[in-house]
Amino acid sequence: MRFGEARPDGRAVVYAHIQADPLVARAAALLAGATATQRLLARAAMNGESPEPATWRAMFPTLFGPAAPAPGDSGRDRSEAILVASLDVAGRGEQARSQFRGAIVEAVTELLLAERTAPVRRERRILFDGRPAEIHPYDVTVEREGAAEAWDCKWGARGIKADVIHQLDDARRGAAAEGTKLVVGLVVFDARRSCEVRLVRERGPVALEGLKLIALEGLDRLAGRRPA
Amino acid sequence: MPATVADLVTRALAAFDALAGTAEPVSDELQYVADLGTVWGARLRAIAVARGPDAAPPGAEDALDALEAEVGRITDPHRAIDWLSTLPQVALAALGEAA
Repeated sequence: MRFGEARPDGRAVVYAHIQADPLVARAAALLAGATATQRLLARAAMNGESPEPATWRAMFPTLFGPAAPAPGDSGRDRSEAILVASLDVAGRGEQARSQFRGAIVEAVTELLLAERTAPVRRERRILFDGRPAEIHPYDVTVEREGAAEAWDCKWGARGIKADVIHQLDDARRGAAAEGTKLVVGLVVFDARRSCEVRLVRERGPVALEGLKLIALEGLDRLAGRRPA
Repeated sequence: MPATVADLVTRALAAFDALAGTAEPVSDELQYVADLGTVWGARLRAIAVARGPDAAPPGAEDALDALEAEVGRITDPHRAIDWLSTLPQVALAALGEAA
């Protein structure tokens, strides 16, 4: 098993500009150190309709209400910064914000994994001798000898589809056939409860025991941390 | 009279049903929408059973007002599907519950 660069295509060229936008790095840095409720705020506001911060502050009383930390507290300031970044994403327009959201989930995943292990790479293929390479690259990989990982990142549970599950499972089985361990999984910026109902319907013949699922509430596990 | 937890769960479930109606045109996701209704409905109703008569936490009623207003703005069926997962999480957070 070896890792390789993804073949450049038109989609990748356009998407690379989204990935390089400073907003992606800013949002990812904020979300990597966020609590589960702050991440939920981002999920709601990035895909919301209202551009008014007051709407979102009212919707999240534990972050912004009377019992929440006061302005100036680091947690409160992070909540405010996440709200600003999320509304910035929402304001990019319908087509762009979908791409921004995906790029942000990938960037958060990269940051969290890098707290625990290295080297962490983006958009890489996994190649096996005697087998045709998969067309789609994996979003984030850990290319550590004997402890490799491949992660596919999704904004929502609805993005979990049979082809994604099968590609991850194929890679895991390909590695096992070579006597190599490869951890494969999905990182989904959505509740575990929603992901599980989707996985059960989409898995087909794939045994889910070999597939890790990291949902919104458990993102800190990527970094080897307990959920905040 | 302050709202109870049961009052707010009832409102969250009604908002969920409204979103499900908006999502209906996406026929190939009907099963997913139904599955979300099953699991999130059960989770919310369990809160009502456990804490129904309790007064809602501070800010929770305003949170439901904002949540319902946001649901009312959603007209795109695909966004409605995404929000069918988001809405229960937000309602639970306002009630001081984990997803």
